[in-house]
Amino acid sequence: MYQVHKRGVVEYEAHCSRVLRMLRYPRYIYTTKALYGDTGELIIEELLLNGKMTMSAVVKKVADRLTETVEDGKTMDYAEVSNTFMQLADTRFVQRCPMVHTPENSDTGPPPPAPNLVINEKDMYLVPKLSLIGKGKRRRSSDEDAAGEPKAKRPKHPTDNKEPIPDDGIYWQANLDRFHQHFRDQAIVSAVANRMDQTSSEIVRAMLRMSEVTTSSDAPFTQPLSSNEIFRSLPVGYNISKQVLDQYLTLLADDPLEFVGKSGDSGGGMYVINFCKALASLATATLESVIQERFGSRCARIFRLVLQKKHLEQKQVEDFAMIPAKEAKDMLYKMLSENFISLQEIPKTPDHAPSRTFYLYTVNILSAARMLLHRCYKSVTNLIERRQFETKENKRLLEKSQRVEAIIASVQATGAEEAQLQEIEEMITAPERQQLETLKRNVNKLDASEIQVDETIFLLESYIESTMKRQ
Amino acid sequence: MGSRALWEGEACCTCSSYLKPLEFRPVPLPSGEEGEYVLALKQELRGAMRQLPYFIRPAIPKKDVERYSDKYQTSGPIDSAIDWNPDWRRLPRELKIRVRKLQKERTTILLPKRPPKTTEDKEETIQKLETLEKKEAEVTSEEDEEKEEEEEKEEEEEEEYDEEEHEEETDYIMSYFDNGEDFGGDSDDNMDEAIY
Repeated sequence: MYQVHKRGVVEYEAHCSRVLRMLRYPRYIYTTKALYGDTGELIIEELLLNGKMTMSAVVKKVADRLTETVEDGKTMDYAEVSNTFMQLADTRFVQRCPMVHTPENSDTGPPPPAPNLVINEKDMYLVPKLSLIGKGKRRRSSDEDAAGEPKAKRPKHPTDNKEPIPDDGIYWQANLDRFHQHFRDQAIVSAVANRMDQTSSEIVRAMLRMSEVTTSSDAPFTQPLSSNEIFRSLPVGYNISKQVLDQYLTLLADDPLEFVGKSGDSGGGMYVINFCKALASLATATLESVIQERFGSRCARIFRLVLQKKHLEQKQVEDFAMIPAKEAKDMLYKMLSENFISLQEIPKTPDHAPSRTFYLYTVNILSAARMLLHRCYKSVTNLIERRQFETKENKRLLEKSQRVEAIIASVQATGAEEAQLQEIEEMITAPERQQLETLKRNVNKLDASEIQVDETIFLLESYIESTMKRQ
Repeated sequence: MGSRALWEGEACCTCSSYLKPLEFRPVPLPSGEEGEYVLALKQELRGAMRQLPYFIRPAIPKKDVERYSDKYQTSGPIDSAIDWNPDWRRLPRELKIRVRKLQKERTTILLPKRPPKTTEDKEETIQKLETLEKKEAEVTSEEDEEKEEEEEKEEEEEEEYDEEEHEEETDYIMSYFDNGEDFGGDSDDNMDEAIY
């Protein structure tokens, strides 16, 4: 990311938060797979790995990759890939990158040291009219092309391709905000399902779907939706009557978690989804869960108590939680030392004497969330460090195992007997095999943990972001 | 307290002494189809990213002793002549690196766009004079075209010439500088041949 400074020097900036998004790449790709199949999955993968690409380049690359995976004789048509691409653009999962801005008046002076990139809101999802005709090419079979087909010149390097690119200069990138919106919606739906039931969650899902394109990604709540509209948008299989729907909506609106709010009575009742509150609830639940898993359920009970009552004295905590004084004190101090809860002083007298001051325990969700987020970042760092360490320690063994695999593959390709293969496999001894197994298990665990921690990071970041915007 | 990585189920008595044992065991990680797929995907991505041209490996640190062969063995790309051609219109101009060949007495610099400038090289000027002699009466544009063509050819010739000269600088053939890493790697397939 660069910018031209006033004095004509180009300044560069590293976007740390964007770098951290790389942890989430597998999640983005998997989500696209669930929504748009393998084609969608590969499109997003290519865009994420290359940052930005032209549509024609993406279509070609993805078609080639898909052709590799299907059975011999079949190829992937460009049209199919283009269609999926356009669907992704329609639902805003991919967007156009800012373009090079050429000023109207002809350049009198020297060209600027760095180009100025701008994009117009309405152009962001505009797909250029391309007629991409072709099929994916399989790498290995292009040598065996039938004599009748004109063998396309297989370019070794991209620079050899002298054909003009129809959409030159129009680059696309993955729209991460849209994915985040999707993840947030998913989290809300599953929270409602856990707290209430399947039907309620389906109602909420329908409401979210209706608001997808009408609500911007950082809005605090959706546009008001009338009960009639919601009724019409319910999925076809759901046979609930209008009255039942209304009952559900009322229940949702009355729930203390306040995910759904009632904003009016017209149209059978106007309802909104309150994103701010929903994210706050999710963050709080995360905090509670962390406390429960680290300190035990009694501690979690105390935490919830303080949260609910907002401010509590030591004695009150013991009484309300019905936990013996010594234990309660211990737990409170533990949580205090880790900054999950904080202490507020309310002096009775102007001299702030400790014996005449109220000390109240309180929970500040925002600061606790920030603290937890930092711990998450640190966890990820530790996980990555450890994984790299493990890999480095066993580097020699890993290389050996890779070489053996390569030998096996090449020997198998030229036709080999069982005895030969077995002999080669024995090049790795049993304890070495054991070591490799352990290594693989550990690395997998560390990787899976990284993915898990990133989910928490996402929730906390979303909550903090939405709260900061409101203030 | 320290910061603890999220371990699962490993006996904590084997951890180093500065880590306190966990009071409560962590919740198990998500498993099942989705978990497995995402995990495999992550590891695949890691491998794929390493192959991309954007992955710039740190320069190999200098070996212990400076060797004579270092001059003639090139490991890695020369001056960023890597297989990456971004859209230069979108990037600041100062990032556009020029590809330089090994410079000896030459001052030729290959620019990405080849401006029709003449270079101060004996060979080239001789050839140019010859061309001009032959085609005095021709139209200017044709001449320019041919000049450019010849420049291209010349630069190709220069390349070849470069290598030859390059090779002639030392008295040894290039394979003299191989350090034995590749030796023995080819003998995997031909087990039948007798090895003396």
